[in-house]
Amino acid sequence: MKNLDFPSLRIGDLVAPVPIIQGGMGIGISLSGLSSAVASQGGIGVIAAAGIGMCETDFFKNYLQANIRALRNEIRKTQSLTKGILGVNIMVALSNFSDYVTASIQEGIDIIFAGAGLPLNLPTYLSKNSKTKLVPIISSARAAHVLITRWQERYHYTADAIVLEGPQAGGHLGFKIDQINNPSYQLDQLLPEVLKAVSLLESKYNKKIPVIAAGGIYNGKDIKKYLSMGASGVQMATRFVATEECDASNDFKQAYLMAEKKDVVIIKSPVGLPGRAIQNKFLFDVSEGQKKPFSCPYHCISTCDPNTTPYCIASALTHAKKGQFKHGFAFAGSNVWRINQMVSVDELIKTLRKEFEDASH
Amino acid sequence: MNEQEILEKVKPVIADKLGIGEDEITMESHFINDLGADSLGLVDITMALEEEYSMEIPDEEASKLVTVGAMIEYIKNNAK
Ligand SMILES: Cc1cc2nc3c(=O)[nH]c(=O)nc-3n(C[C@H](O)[C@H](O)[C@H](O)COP(=O)(O)O)c2cc1C
Repeated sequence: MKNLDFPSLRIGDLVAPVPIIQGGMGIGISLSGLSSAVASQGGIGVIAAAGIGMCETDFFKNYLQANIRALRNEIRKTQSLTKGILGVNIMVALSNFSDYVTASIQEGIDIIFAGAGLPLNLPTYLSKNSKTKLVPIISSARAAHVLITRWQERYHYTADAIVLEGPQAGGHLGFKIDQINNPSYQLDQLLPEVLKAVSLLESKYNKKIPVIAAGGIYNGKDIKKYLSMGASGVQMATRFVATEECDASNDFKQAYLMAEKKDVVIIKSPVGLPGRAIQNKFLFDVSEGQKKPFSCPYHCISTCDPNTTPYCIASALTHAKKGQFKHGFAFAGSNVWRINQMVSVDELIKTLRKEFEDASH
Repeated sequence: MNEQEILEKVKPVIADKLGIGEDEITMESHFINDLGADSLGLVDITMALEEEYSMEIPDEEASKLVTVGAMIEYIKNNAK
């Protein structure tokens, strides 16, 4: 009989029986609750580092220490909740990227996912005994080629896997605005290009580099499609928001359940990249020019200029996480409008598995 | 090698990596503002030139080489 079940996802010596990575979601959306639930179900759970210290009492006074302390505590807490595979997502654009990386490696995290910028020197943070795997998130075959080659030539380190994030993802997008809906830049087009570029490097360096597809992946049929095309696994984020275990407030999750197709918009984020979000009054006011530059105590993102940026993204997303949409907005993937019920992570993965099997007949 | 000779040698590399014409490239060209490079393109160029001139440009140095002229100056002083 043909085996129709999920194939496992191997990243080095790590084996995830469910080939699904829960994408890191910054500013408090994916923390110990969601990531431990996904890891316990056999997938890879990911804690997002961005803005993780916002609930520390000294967040504004000791921005750096508060964040690093919160990250360490969150990793330890998650590790105590599950024996499954755990990652941390660290945006390269974060001003204290290197401190987050160092802390995560010291805490023995299984995998670091690094996107929103080129993590050119990531391998330099590893020490002899660290087991942490390094996985860049990229959006083109060219980026895959340049980054893998650079790591290999300069540090003799082969990327342990790469995540290819297409333009239908939620949050920040590694594309120009006019590429986002251009057919030539969709995941279905990019994946074969990236697989080809990576397979050349795999033979050159004699090591397997799994490619993980992300961005707009909604159901088990989609998973089947990308695995059949040659991806080793998928990364999904938007679907995991509407779960009981997700660390966002209930109001944030409700915004996902209520969103309609017309509400999904592309914004220009202060990070300097486009982003996909759910439209609301806050974003409308921004687009009407009604928000003013602000004073910034800590400069959390290296590419943000508070003198010209109309609002603070860290503050807006912190408010959103808590459900205070008067002062913020929610990032979401293009398929958010299709979600209309809240489930547990266990139920979601069961559904995806069933759909995957049905698509395999 | 003098600057002009290096310029003639790096032009095809830069043109190829950025998908532009060699005639667009002068000593004064700013990689990002004039030649339309993004951060990925800059790394790509840096890597190609490192190989061509058997040298290593540290990341901190590379971020300062914003014009073709600055890159050529660096090559002149550091190429092996
Ligand atoms: C609310 C939200 C926050 C996100 N935050 C981050 C982040 O901090 N870092 C990052 O690399 N990606 C982030 N992403 C992208 C996801 O990790 C994921 O790759 C992407 O959303 C996948 O597409 P999907 O949501 O359609 O499944 C975020 C996505 C969402 C929806």
